[in-house]
Amino acid sequence: MNLLKETVWSIPIYSLVGALLSVLWFPSITKRTGPRPAGYVNLLLTLLAFAHSLGLLVTVWGQAPSVVDYPWLVVGDFRLSFPFLVSPLAAGAAVVVTGLNLLAQVYAIGYLEMDWGWARFFSLLGLFEGGMCALVFCQSLFFSYIILEILTLGTYLLVGVWYNQPLVVTGARDAFLTKRVGDLLLLMGVVALYPFTGTWNFDELAAWAARTDIDPQVMTWVGLGLLAWPVAKCAQLPFHLWLDEAMEGPLPSTILRNSVVVATGTWVLIQLYPVLALSPLVLQTAGVIGAATALGGALVAIAQIDIKRILSYLTSAYLGVVFVAVATGELNLARQSLLTYAVAMALLVMAVGAVVWNSRVQDVRWLGGLLRRRPISAVTFMVGGATLVGLPPLAGFGPLSGLLDAWAGQPGLVLWLGLVTIASTLALTRAFGLIFLGAPQQMTERSPEVHWPMILPMTVGVGVALNLPVMLWQWGFRPAWSPLAGVLPLAVGLGVGLGLVQYGESRQVWKVSPAWQEFFARDFYSSDLYRLTIVRLVAAFSQVLEWVDNRLVDGAGQAVGLLTLLSGDRLRYTTGGQAQWYVLTVVLGTAGLVAWVWWR
Amino acid sequence: MLLSAVLWGPWLAALILALLPVPDARTAMAPASSLKPSETRSRLKGVAIALASGLLGLQVWLWQAVDIGAGGFQLAEFQTWLPGLGLNYSLAVDGLALPLLGLNALLTWIVVLSSDRTQVRPKLFYVLVFLIHGGIAGALLSQNLLLFLLFYELELIPVYLAIAVFGGPNRDLAAMKFLVYTAISGLILLGALVALGWVAGGAMPEFEFGAIQSAQIPLNLQLALAIALLIGFGIKTPLVPLHAWLPDTYVEASAPIAILLGGILAKLGSYGLFRFILQLLPEAWQVLSPYLAIWGAVCVLYGAIAAIAQKDIKRMVAYSSIGHMGYILLAGAAATPLAVTGGIVQMASHGLILAVLFDLVGIIEKKVGTRDLDVLNGLFNPVRGLPAIAAFLVVGGMASAGLPGLVGFVAEYLIFQGSISVFPIPTLVCIFGTGLTAVYFVILMNRTCFGKLDNFTSYYPQVTPNERVPAFLLTLLVVFFGLAPGNLTRWSEATAVQLVRPAPTATVSALVPMHIEVKR
Repeated sequence: MNLLKETVWSIPIYSLVGALLSVLWFPSITKRTGPRPAGYVNLLLTLLAFAHSLGLLVTVWGQAPSVVDYPWLVVGDFRLSFPFLVSPLAAGAAVVVTGLNLLAQVYAIGYLEMDWGWARFFSLLGLFEGGMCALVFCQSLFFSYIILEILTLGTYLLVGVWYNQPLVVTGARDAFLTKRVGDLLLLMGVVALYPFTGTWNFDELAAWAARTDIDPQVMTWVGLGLLAWPVAKCAQLPFHLWLDEAMEGPLPSTILRNSVVVATGTWVLIQLYPVLALSPLVLQTAGVIGAATALGGALVAIAQIDIKRILSYLTSAYLGVVFVAVATGELNLARQSLLTYAVAMALLVMAVGAVVWNSRVQDVRWLGGLLRRRPISAVTFMVGGATLVGLPPLAGFGPLSGLLDAWAGQPGLVLWLGLVTIASTLALTRAFGLIFLGAPQQMTERSPEVHWPMILPMTVGVGVALNLPVMLWQWGFRPAWSPLAGVLPLAVGLGVGLGLVQYGESRQVWKVSPAWQEFFARDFYSSDLYRLTIVRLVAAFSQVLEWVDNRLVDGAGQAVGLLTLLSGDRLRYTTGGQAQWYVLTVVLGTAGLVAWVWWR
Repeated sequence: MLLSAVLWGPWLAALILALLPVPDARTAMAPASSLKPSETRSRLKGVAIALASGLLGLQVWLWQAVDIGAGGFQLAEFQTWLPGLGLNYSLAVDGLALPLLGLNALLTWIVVLSSDRTQVRPKLFYVLVFLIHGGIAGALLSQNLLLFLLFYELELIPVYLAIAVFGGPNRDLAAMKFLVYTAISGLILLGALVALGWVAGGAMPEFEFGAIQSAQIPLNLQLALAIALLIGFGIKTPLVPLHAWLPDTYVEASAPIAILLGGILAKLGSYGLFRFILQLLPEAWQVLSPYLAIWGAVCVLYGAIAAIAQKDIKRMVAYSSIGHMGYILLAGAAATPLAVTGGIVQMASHGLILAVLFDLVGIIEKKVGTRDLDVLNGLFNPVRGLPAIAAFLVVGGMASAGLPGLVGFVAEYLIFQGSISVFPIPTLVCIFGTGLTAVYFVILMNRTCFGKLDNFTSYYPQVTPNERVPAFLLTLLVVFFGLAPGNLTRWSEATAVQLVRPAPTATVSALVPMHIEVKR
């Protein structure tokens, strides 16, 4: 079974091959068959990747990590190679990525039944899967950066699959630019870090961090650059806007994005922890950002009327929790919660997508009474939501209770997680109530359960989610049964209760002051804030520079030309044939020369 | 002999084409000819492709003959010509000229390949293209300052004609502007290089490159010469604020001429910066380098921000190329082997990327009939848009914005990594500049590729294989060198080490600061 380990490089390759093959079915290349074969080819290759990573996981279970190196660029003494770290953790992460992509692709076959953009869509899904599989095995900060930056382009194209809708275009743009800001700050950090460390290998970085005595101020700046990237990728404040706008993309890609793609940010954050920990300020910043995003995101989620956006803000919120976990040094719990989070969020997005697909509406105010008609979607939503907020005995309880236990000495953090849980549960219960409870609305009168390609991944996902606590238990990840863990069920109960009272059968809309409602519904007005500050600043500055370039820089050249013409024009009239004029010129010239010689 | 073949091949090709007993289309009605204009065109194109392919094959031969490991000048050829003047026929090649020579042949080949039946005056067009090729090859190969100047000035004539004959509506003005600016650049260079020869030579002027390199020149003279050369080559490169000729020229020139202009001709400027200032006047360069690094950063920001304001896609691409020259200046200023390798790679990679972009912009203009960002829309549409062209545009734009996996990143990354320990702040500013690059390329792609096609106007002509294949090949190269950058970098490494040799502190160890080395 060593073959599986030696060919570890092929795990990312499978789906990349699928991505390349999909090009064959672009509508402009193959017209006869339609683009559907692209989807099946990708599904097959993802299945291969899934099987390979599963086999690898079984093979390396309990083994020590080993590294496989592939050289990429050698310039003189400067050598860059791509190290693959084969560890149970990485293999497990690859299983999660390929497994979720498998579910997302089956789901997409159902969801995009009527779409003609299959080839492009599936090839981009393949690119994402390949990139993420490479990332989980990648042991080098530099190549992590490269993969992530390519995925930034992937996000741009994937959000923009339905490229002819105006909101999609702006969403894709904002997703790209926001992530690009993060990428460039990361690149600054990556480039600046190398002269100090001489390596980008995560293990060697950790070893370096243990013995270095680098100037903490320098390290703070480098660390903030490195931190910026996970903040942008995980849609944390103040870079959270793009995820919300990215919801305009096709929903099956959202399954992958909201569950694992955004989580790659925290994956790299965990890898970088030893370096970031060199500067307490950086960790504090990460913690504050995560805490603020978690609470803010959960509150904003309560005020959303678009079901996809409710989930997008909860995505930011729970990744914020992971940020705080990393900032307090709970790396194992952070990894564990990434797993439970990914499964939970995938379920939520799939359930919501099923509703969107044939109710044809994303506005929760137009939905209702779907519980009896669509029990599978409802159960999927419930299981996903309960796993997300950490309701015992579901899987989310394990890492979250562990965190509460670890923070026993910090009541502020315990209180904060309680509040986040209450707010998130309330947001989820509100969504559940408005979609599934109450009387049917206009758009839900005729709204049967969806067809099998979407039901299948949902039920499989629910099965996995329900078994996850048992699996975690067997792997030795036990929940912390301390009294503090009781905060979780308490908070969840409070959230569910509040939600059901407000948005259950009665469908009352909560009465708060409209100003506050607007404040949260518009996401703290952050998009307006950006438009009025950065966007306007860059636009104005470019206009000014354009003027300078046209008038001053080009104008200077033009002025010289004009001056030449005019002076030539003037001088022309001096050759009038008047002898006196010539003599005068000669005399003046001679006088000038004599004066110059004299003066020297 | 090989270098002479590389140098005179294009001139010979131009001569063959000029003398070919096939009339130019304008005179196709001449009684001597029994050919239809379309036959004339295809016959001319066939010959031109054969000649261009031959020249490209010659490059393969040349690249095989070069010893990668050795850094200095190779395959030297020497013939005294006018000894009284100091002008010799002296050729050689090194890792700085080699990528540009290859790029020169490649872009010529691409331009010939992408020419089509709507090309006006095809014979004149092909002849001019090969003449430009010959001039550039001569300038890159010359080891004698006067010989360099000769080719540098000579190449202006075909370029001027090419812009003035084949360009857009304001082509005559643009051609004149180009000519005046570049002629001023040539004049300044003439003065500076001749002065350099006199300063280096003692009693008799010495214009041989090797001899000047070993000459001792006082620092103040070096500084004066370096500044003059900076202005001369700065106009050609171009560096802000000497770039005023560029937007108009690139925009008015027809797409193939713009490819040659931006892709390779303007590289003579950055080539000159490295060859004649960095290599010949190292002490002066070292004194000036902090200012040059800042200047480079200013160019990057200026080009990027000015590009954001553009409404014409060709103009936007033109401004982007101003920004990208700033990285080369930064690389030269840092003068570490890594950065200089990056700078050389950036010259080649920018040539490739700019060629892709100008080619695609030319196709879009030809099919859609506009370059206006406010009018263009929805080219991704697989049925009525230009999906393949739009896809290549995404790759080209992203490569220009420095996305990893594409060739632009390799160059920029090497420059950044090589410069960060020498000039941290300008390097960080340049990285910030790549972010602005992404901003205008996203604007460009959002407006052209995304969005809804206008149902009433979107009856675009089909993109022919003739147009798609060159764009595809260039895009393929951009991806290939991005994924396997070693194929591009290894030609220049040894030369890069030699280029920075006179400054003994800036060796490879600059990558890893000493105090860390000691502790390990």
